[in-house]
Amino acid sequence: MSISGKTAIAGIGVTAFGKLPGRSAWSLQTEAVKRAIDDAGLSKTDVDGLLTAPPLSEPLLLHAEQLGGKLGLRTNYLSQKFIGGATAVALVAEAALAVEAGLCEVAVCVYGENAKTGLPMLFGRAQMGRGQAPSDDIAYGLAGGPIMEARAAKRYMDEFGVTEEMLGSVAVAFRDHASRNPGATYRDPLTIEQYLENRYVSEPLRVLDCTIGASDGAVAVVVTSAERARDLAEPPAVIAGAGVAANLQGLSDPDHYTSYPGARSAQTAYRMAGLEPEDVDVAQFYDCFTSTVLITMEDYGFCKRGEAGPFALEGNLKSGGALPSNTSGGMLSEANLVGWNVLAEGVRQIRGESTSQVDDAEVCVVAGQGGFHAAHATLLLTKGAA
Amino acid sequence: MPHTLTELVAGAAPIVVEETRGYWEGTLAEELRVQTCNECGNVQMPWGPCCTRCLSQGLGSIVASGRGRVFSFTVVRQAIHPNFSAQVPYVIADIELEEGPIMTSNVTDCPVEDVRIGMPVELWFDNEIEDAFHTKLRLPKFRPAKG
Repeated sequence: MSISGKTAIAGIGVTAFGKLPGRSAWSLQTEAVKRAIDDAGLSKTDVDGLLTAPPLSEPLLLHAEQLGGKLGLRTNYLSQKFIGGATAVALVAEAALAVEAGLCEVAVCVYGENAKTGLPMLFGRAQMGRGQAPSDDIAYGLAGGPIMEARAAKRYMDEFGVTEEMLGSVAVAFRDHASRNPGATYRDPLTIEQYLENRYVSEPLRVLDCTIGASDGAVAVVVTSAERARDLAEPPAVIAGAGVAANLQGLSDPDHYTSYPGARSAQTAYRMAGLEPEDVDVAQFYDCFTSTVLITMEDYGFCKRGEAGPFALEGNLKSGGALPSNTSGGMLSEANLVGWNVLAEGVRQIRGESTSQVDDAEVCVVAGQGGFHAAHATLLLTKGAA
Repeated sequence: MPHTLTELVAGAAPIVVEETRGYWEGTLAEELRVQTCNECGNVQMPWGPCCTRCLSQGLGSIVASGRGRVFSFTVVRQAIHPNFSAQVPYVIADIELEEGPIMTSNVTDCPVEDVRIGMPVELWFDNEIEDAFHTKLRLPKFRPAKG
């Protein structure tokens, strides 16, 4: 039994992103939920499923229960998931399964954070430091995402002759999109010359290769049956395919430097949807780092191994290019909502509402990647049958 | 002694737990012990509660030769953890040991610009330190191989 085409994202709720003093994570999460329900043209009493990702700044074990209480919900399905940056896409896949299996009819997936102005990212810091707990890599000064990713990036670049300009072209393309998005954190145009003058955090990664450190904000999406979604307020983004794959050996696995589990999650999603890489009109990658985008492009079959860099350098990730990507600016320039803002932009592209809209976008792929490429989730959204 | 999770995770020393005790005891004897599986012969790093190939909990160890090559690395220019701010730039490297597994460590005793993928390295042990619960240990580190 395939769930392809059976469910859809019928509503999205997005708060402001950035620095939002005075706003608690709860207030942002509940605002996003209300916006998503309103956007779908539904009412609170229609919602009978709640799926949450706990905020990094406050990693509560009973987050879903507490948020459900604050929303005054009675649900037929409840779930909480945290697999890092893969959570957004994986939760949507889970919501689709729950709806299609009849566990609930209208599911809301939500994540919200005030890590920029509120509590520091305690959980993130703890996890990064103790990412390989038994080996205690923090003792060697291995603390923080860029140091984790830089070693994969270095090996990938060395193996395939990828240049720093190629990495930079990803940052430049996404900034170009952000410059048209009034809600983006970084909107000043960026040139490759400016990129090359930018300082390194952890070589070969510069500040501009890394996601925005932390943002306040929240995103919620409403998942229901495709049939019901067609009668609601907004055009549905039909869930045509999904996959959630993992390789939990981290950088102890030599294969894990130049390819991610996304190669497998994408295969699952394509097979489910009956689609090929050539069918994808627009992509929303999990752009925690520029190098991550290049490797994911190859994992997803958009380029052969080692060819994503030259492809990006030709400007193909910009609007009007062969594969317009991260059209809201992504996590590099819009906000770091751990992939949730990237997911919301995928829905906007299918609706035709992006500030960098791709003409006649029929198929959008959305990626999520967590735990320093341990987990990877892929979602294929389509306009579906008229 | 740390009192809260925050204090525990804020520190930069390893935390010796039951399943890694043998590994850290080895460092006091200047031995880099690589975990082995008594059932299937798998050789693995870092140490874990079971064999990642066959899930057996019958585990042992061998003493590594201390020779290896740089599989990948990064030159850290901005320390995110405050304990390392004074040390930048420093090298975090993934060392492919002669025995097969890859382990994360530092490459020291050479300019950071000289480190290359594939570079032969040799083991040395840093000064004795204590974890948050006063267990003594020494960090295995690597430097360019001589000759």
